[in-house]
Order: sequence, then C-alpha cells, then structure tokens
Amino acid sequence: MPREQMPEFSSSVKLKYVKLGFQYLVDHFLSLLLIPIMAIIAIELLRMGPEEILNVWKSLHFDLVYLLCSCFFVIFISSVYFISKPRTVYLVDYCCYKPPVSCRVPFATFMEHSRLILNDKPKSVEFQMRILERSGLGEETCLPPAIHYIPPTPTMDEARSEAQMVIFTAMDDLFKKTDLMPKDIDILIVNCSLFSPTPSLSAMVINKYKLRSNIKSFNLSGMGCSAGLISVDLARDLLQVHPNSNAIIVSTEIITPNYYKGNERAMLLPNCLFRMGSAAILMSNHRSDRWRAKYKLSHLVRTHRGADDKSYYCVYEQEDKDGNIGINLSKDLMAIAGEALKANITTIGPLVLPASEQLLFLLSLIGRKIFNPKWKPYIPDFKLAFEHFCIHAGGRAVIDELQKNLQLSGEHVEASRMTLHRFGNTSSSSLWYELSYIESKGRMRRGDRVWQIAFGSGFKCNSAVWKCNRTIKTPKDGPWSDCIDRYPVFIPEVVKL
Amino acid sequence: MSQLQEEGSGPVHGFLLSTVSSTQPTETGTTHERTGLDLAMKLHYVKAVCIYSAEAARELTVMHVKGPFFPIFNQIPWISGRLSRHDSGRPFIKCNDCGTRFVESQCDLTEEEWLRVSDRSVDESLVYHQPVGPELAYSPLIYIQMTRFKCGGLALGFSWAHIIGDALSVSHFLNLWARALAGEEVYCPKTTDSERGLPNPNPTGKEPGSIKRVDPVGDLWVAPSDSKMTTHSFNVTVKNIKTNFGANGNEFEILSGIIWRCIAQARGGGGSEPVTITIIRSDPNGLKPRAVRNSQMISSVHVDFSVAEAKLEEIVKSIGKATDERSEIDEIGESDDFIVYGAKLTFVDLSEVDFYEAKIKETSPVSVYCNVQGIGDEGAVVVLPAAVEEERVVTVTLPEDEMEKVKWELKKCGLIKTLINGE
Repeated sequence: MPREQMPEFSSSVKLKYVKLGFQYLVDHFLSLLLIPIMAIIAIELLRMGPEEILNVWKSLHFDLVYLLCSCFFVIFISSVYFISKPRTVYLVDYCCYKPPVSCRVPFATFMEHSRLILNDKPKSVEFQMRILERSGLGEETCLPPAIHYIPPTPTMDEARSEAQMVIFTAMDDLFKKTDLMPKDIDILIVNCSLFSPTPSLSAMVINKYKLRSNIKSFNLSGMGCSAGLISVDLARDLLQVHPNSNAIIVSTEIITPNYYKGNERAMLLPNCLFRMGSAAILMSNHRSDRWRAKYKLSHLVRTHRGADDKSYYCVYEQEDKDGNIGINLSKDLMAIAGEALKANITTIGPLVLPASEQLLFLLSLIGRKIFNPKWKPYIPDFKLAFEHFCIHAGGRAVIDELQKNLQLSGEHVEASRMTLHRFGNTSSSSLWYELSYIESKGRMRRGDRVWQIAFGSGFKCNSAVWKCNRTIKTPKDGPWSDCIDRYPVFIPEVVKL
Repeated sequence: MSQLQEEGSGPVHGFLLSTVSSTQPTETGTTHERTGLDLAMKLHYVKAVCIYSAEAARELTVMHVKGPFFPIFNQIPWISGRLSRHDSGRPFIKCNDCGTRFVESQCDLTEEEWLRVSDRSVDESLVYHQPVGPELAYSPLIYIQMTRFKCGGLALGFSWAHIIGDALSVSHFLNLWARALAGEEVYCPKTTDSERGLPNPNPTGKEPGSIKRVDPVGDLWVAPSDSKMTTHSFNVTVKNIKTNFGANGNEFEILSGIIWRCIAQARGGGGSEPVTITIIRSDPNGLKPRAVRNSQMISSVHVDFSVAEAKLEEIVKSIGKATDERSEIDEIGESDDFIVYGAKLTFVDLSEVDFYEAKIKETSPVSVYCNVQGIGDEGAVVVLPAAVEEERVVTVTLPEDEMEKVKWELKKCGLIKTLINGE
C-alpha cells in the first residue's frame, strides 16, 4: 500500500511544483523579461568599448533648447502623474463596542423569554429553538436592555438610549486611542439601517461632542448590513476631494426598535441572530498619518443587484398579517448571495489577483465559451491575493457558503465564525469585530492584505481591500481582550439546548 | 394564603418582568444535584421582603439594583439554573444560566403609609410569587420584586424555592447583594454535600414526625391544602415575654410555648389539640462558611399531656428536648412528595437571622418580613427579628376559620396588646 501511495504523493508534489513554477513565471513576467534585455544591452556596451560609446554620445546634438524642452517635458509628465494620482486613504485606527456583561443573553434565557412572549404559538417557539441551535451563536452575545423585558419595551427613548450607549462608548474609546480632538473631525458618516430618528444619529454625535459647524456630516439609513463599506466608500471619495482631512465613520445597528413581535417564521429569524454592537473608524488622508495608520485602502468595489426583482425582494421589510413589522428573509437568500458574490468577484478579481490566476481564469473562460461549455469553471485562488478574509457574520449559512465558493480553509474563515459566536450578527460593524479578532490573535503583519466582504439588503455585495501598513501588536484592550485566549472554540453543528 | 401574583387593582401595580443572570457562561452540561432533605422541602417557598427608606434608596435605579446580582450569580451559578429530572424521576438542577425573574413595580402609597399597618402580612403583595411548574424547565427558582414607593422608598421581595435553600440562605443572598451594591468583592466558596454535618441517622427507622406525605403533585410544585390559609403578623417585646411569662428558656421557646398553648386552647381540648409540633431553627453547630443550602435543623416535639391545660414551664421544657430529624428526612426525601411546614404545627426560629445587616448606604432596612409559602393545614409560626432590637415580629399562618379564635386566645393571654378588627 505505501508503495502505491508514494507515486501518488510524489505526483501531487510534482504537480504542486509545476503550479508554483507557472505562477512565478507569469506573476513576474515583466521582471523576467527585463533580465535578458539588460544582459543584451550590457554585452553590447562591453563589445562597443569606451571610445565608440563616446562617439555615439557626441553624435547626439545637444543644444540648450533641446535640453530645456526635454527637462520641462519630464517635469510636466511627473507633475501630471503626481497630481492625478488618487490620494492614499489611510485607516488610522478603529474601535469596536463591547457591550456590558449585564446585557448577556444565554440561550436558555432567550428560549424562556420566547416561550413566555409567544406562549400561544408553540410552533414558532419550536422554530426559534431550532434556529438558535444551528445558528453558530454562543452564550455571550448581548441584546439591549429594552429587549430583556417580557414582553420587550421598544420605545423611542430606549432606542435612543441604546444608540447613545453603543455609539458614544465606541467613539470615546476611539478618541482616546488616536488622541483625536473632536473639533478636528472634518467628515462624519454614521450608518444605521433600521433606526433613523429626527434629528439624525449623526446630529446626535455632533451634539454630544460639540463638533465644528462646518463639518461634513452624512447619515446613511436603510442600506442594510453592507452599509459599513458604503460609508468607507463615501469617506474615500470625500477624502479625494478634501485635502488634509480626516473622517470618522460610525457603523452600527440599533436592535431595540426592530424586535419582531409577531410569529411569522421567516420574520422571526432576525430576532434570533441580530445582536448589539457598533464600530467607530478613523480614516484620513494626512501624509503624517502614514506612520501611525494601521491600514491603507487599496480597493473598494460595490455591486448592486437591485435591478433583478428576486434580489430586490429577498430581504424585505413588511407587515405581517397581524400588522407587526418585521424583515422577511426569502428562502433564496443563499443563492442570491452567491450570485452577488460572483458579480463582485468579476470586478475585483482583475484588480487583486496575480497575473497567473487571471491567465488561468481567462484560458478557462475561453475554453468554456469556445470548446466545451461543460468544463468546470476555474475558480481563481483568492488565497494567493489575500492573507486574511473578513466575511460578514450574517449567519452560519453565509460563512459556509462563502467558504465553499472561495475554497477557503477553516483558518481563513475563523475570524468570521468566532465573531458570530462571540458577538452574534452585529450587522454593518461585524467586519470590524472580525478584523479586531485577527489583530488580537497577533496575525496581522505589515504588507498583509485583507479582504472584507459585506452583504446587504438590496441585494448588495461590497468588498474592501486593505493593506496592512505596519505590523500590529496584540492589543491590550478591545472587544476580544478578555476572551481571545478561549478562541478559537469548536462550534458544534447543533447545540443541545 | 396562596398568593399567585397577578396584577390586580391593589396599590402595587405596573409589573415589568425581565431576567437577571450571570455574566460568565457556565460550561454546557453542568448539573447540580439536590439531597433528600432538599427534595423534601420542594413544595415550600421562602418569601422575604426588605423595605428600605427613601433616604437610603431614592437614587437607586433599576440598573443599580439589578447590577449586584450578576457577580453573585457568577459565584453561585446553579441557583439561576432550571430544574430537570433524571431518568429515575429524581429532580436535579441544570446549570444553564437561564437566570431569575426580576419584576419592577410601583406602589401608590408612601412608605410611611405602607408601614403604618401593624399587621405586616400586607408585605406578601410585595413578593412576586409563582410556583415551580407545570414545566420544570421553564420555571425560575427565584423571583425578585423591586417596588418603588411614591416617596422614593424601595422594597425588595424574594420568592425563593425551598429546594435550593432555607431562610438563612435568603438572608445570605440579600447580604451578598448589599455588599456587592456597596462595591465590595463578592466571593462564595464552593461547598460539597459531604460537609453537611447531619446528625447520625436514627436506627429505629421510623418515619419522621415532622413531615407529611402528600398525594403526588407531578411537576406543579404547589402544596395541596384542604383549608384556605391566612396570615397574621404582630410584634412582641422580649421584655414582655420574659417578665410576664416567667419560664426558663430563650424567648423563642417561651414564645412557641405560649402560642402552642393558645392554639391548643382555640382548637378545643381533646383529640384536636396539636400534641406534636415541628421546630425549625438554625443549626447552632452550623457549617462555616455560609452558603446557599438547607442548613436549618428540623426537629420534632411530642408531648403526652394536654397542652391546653399544661403549665408553660412544662411546655417549654418539652420544646427544649426536640429531636433533630434531618437524617430521617434526608433518607426518604426523594421517594415521594412531602410538606414540612404545616405538616404539624410548625414554629420557625429566624430571630438570629441577619436580614437587617443587608444595608444600603450603611442603613439597615426599616422593615423585614419573612414567611413560607405552601404551609400545610396545621399552620406555622415564624419568629423574626424586628427593626428594634428588643422586639420580635411573629407571623402566624393558620386556616382562615381558626385565625379569629387564636387571635382572641393570644389577646387573652396578653401576648397581643390590642386587637382592632381587621388588623
């Protein structure tokens, strides 16, 4: 038996080396081409000898006008290049909100409350229990105080007080970490999908911290779980237009007003998965921040599938037959997410994939179109383009689906799974908790590339690519500081409740 | 008096229910067993109320009151779990951090108006009580009610399933809360069942006189009773007991003797007199450190003479010879459903229990009330410390039709000074 395995093993090793060789060849094609050219020139020069070189030099008639024009031309081209180069946008630092432990919701408590609130609908309770068992959430996720009541008391005051608690705590931490003075904030973007009071949450922040009157503030609501990256995109565009500025982004989802009080099954799902959380991010285009910034924004790609009706209706807020408002999640959600991802990859692939992968993909595409449509489509290996992946912790199914589609290993999706376990689905801020997990594990090195993928209602798939600017020391504070040593944990397929 | 708390038209209203649990998750699959003695007490619930003045408690918000419970549950996670049954049918506690129910309520009266009533059994409406069952897995073992009076005073009411501990445990729990509220670190060392210090089992193997077997109650742990019970509470002074009723013994034994005789006289002579009583008091050799458990001594007194006619000294002497029956109860506790309080006329000595040490802003509660839910038809008498050191609060729970006669006898012998109708 070992003899048969040996040839198999050695042939797979041989294949691996062939693949590596191919990748090296294609990725460094231009550099490899340069070597023979330089060699030829060097040989030619040596052959010519110093006297001939001097003759060639004299034959080029250099007069002053010619020289000056050439110089100006070079300077002109350089200036145009530097001016039209997009400003580098840095992510200086960010802070994630850690809910107070008194807001913790153990499984048993959630189920007991569910039974008491839905006491005449045992099938709905049964459904919630099955969801919770398979959800991938842990026993330490948190809900806001108003939802701890039987029945919950989602008044506007409670919603505002939750917003103040999550947003101000995260921002206070951010100010402390970055030594930023509130009056120095130039751009403020707050995104919260389902709670949009008047005055807006961004106005609430401006009021609390007494920000400047000429601040550029934006409040994005209704844009779902992918709104975090939409805010980053907006900040990036603004930072291109305004030199020497910084931008604060606050990504959150306020749970209090959105507890679904009915018993329609497809609408009970968010109650089981959504949890309290928020993140505050400082971005800037100051040249001086290039030393202290954690990340540089490389690419941001937004894909919107709203033109397709099925995608548009798959996450839909509506009233049920009793008049209770909730969010209806369609059964096709995973399929639609897969398609949105494919569309997004098609755009981001050429920007980030090494040349070898792009060539293989192109050849596979040509082959399928011309020769045989039944050929398996070549899935580019994104592990070559990125060291870390942050997949929106929308639910266990989303992470499983993406892991399968992108052929990622368990370690690549560990940040997403563990964030889902510890914090639940915190909507737009979940990507930042995942990034914080990777940093807390000490895995983030200078030069590492991170891919953040967010999905949201609409249906949208947004990707951000960051490049790590400096090796990040394991943080002493942050949402993972007291529990990182317990992670990763094994999350069973079904938790016995 | 079976008091299933419902929101009625009384002065206490506005119930908001939530849950308080621990902050650290307990490992999945952790369980906590109960002994035979614990299981024998399962149909009873300790109800305790502490009322704090407005000066001490005005600034405490709901979060201030809820907050200190979290670290306590971290230390004692099993009391926030839920009951379940082994395949054999024996109940045990699943430590799933489900939590205890916390009820917020408002009272339309000021604290002064509330405390003006000398019969403190009105405090029973400050305790949100629900029995365990009909579904064991969804029944909290502890209910905590926080009532805010119109003037800013605060009442904390506890309904505590006796299977987890006795009145001494409730006081311990309350004291831990007060210490945590004051900012102290709370630490509860773990105890094991082997350190229970029960006396040696009685080799005769006869059934203990202090408990009574009842018909199986299944999963709804409500003590069955034939008569409707009512409670009356009054204060006595230690001096009054010692001087007017000269007898040897401590004031609890004298008090028990007096009340036993009055009840015997009220029930009429002959066969209907109670000749066996149960005495429940703290174990003088109690285990240290304090913990949540059933540590009280349950002893039985049996006399051959007619109590209604006997001299007080004889009665008190018999009380002094009570026999500890805990080991016997422990042996049979799991086999059936029993009641302990009220199986025979029961006297509970809580006069040394430190309820008044649970201070907010270094101020003791102005009033403490404690009683047991699920008392059997023979009735029970609970003796508590009062806010004033020389006084005791006596809470008598008897069948409704007996209560007036007993009150009359108590007044006749001089224990109750005045008897205003309806008090």
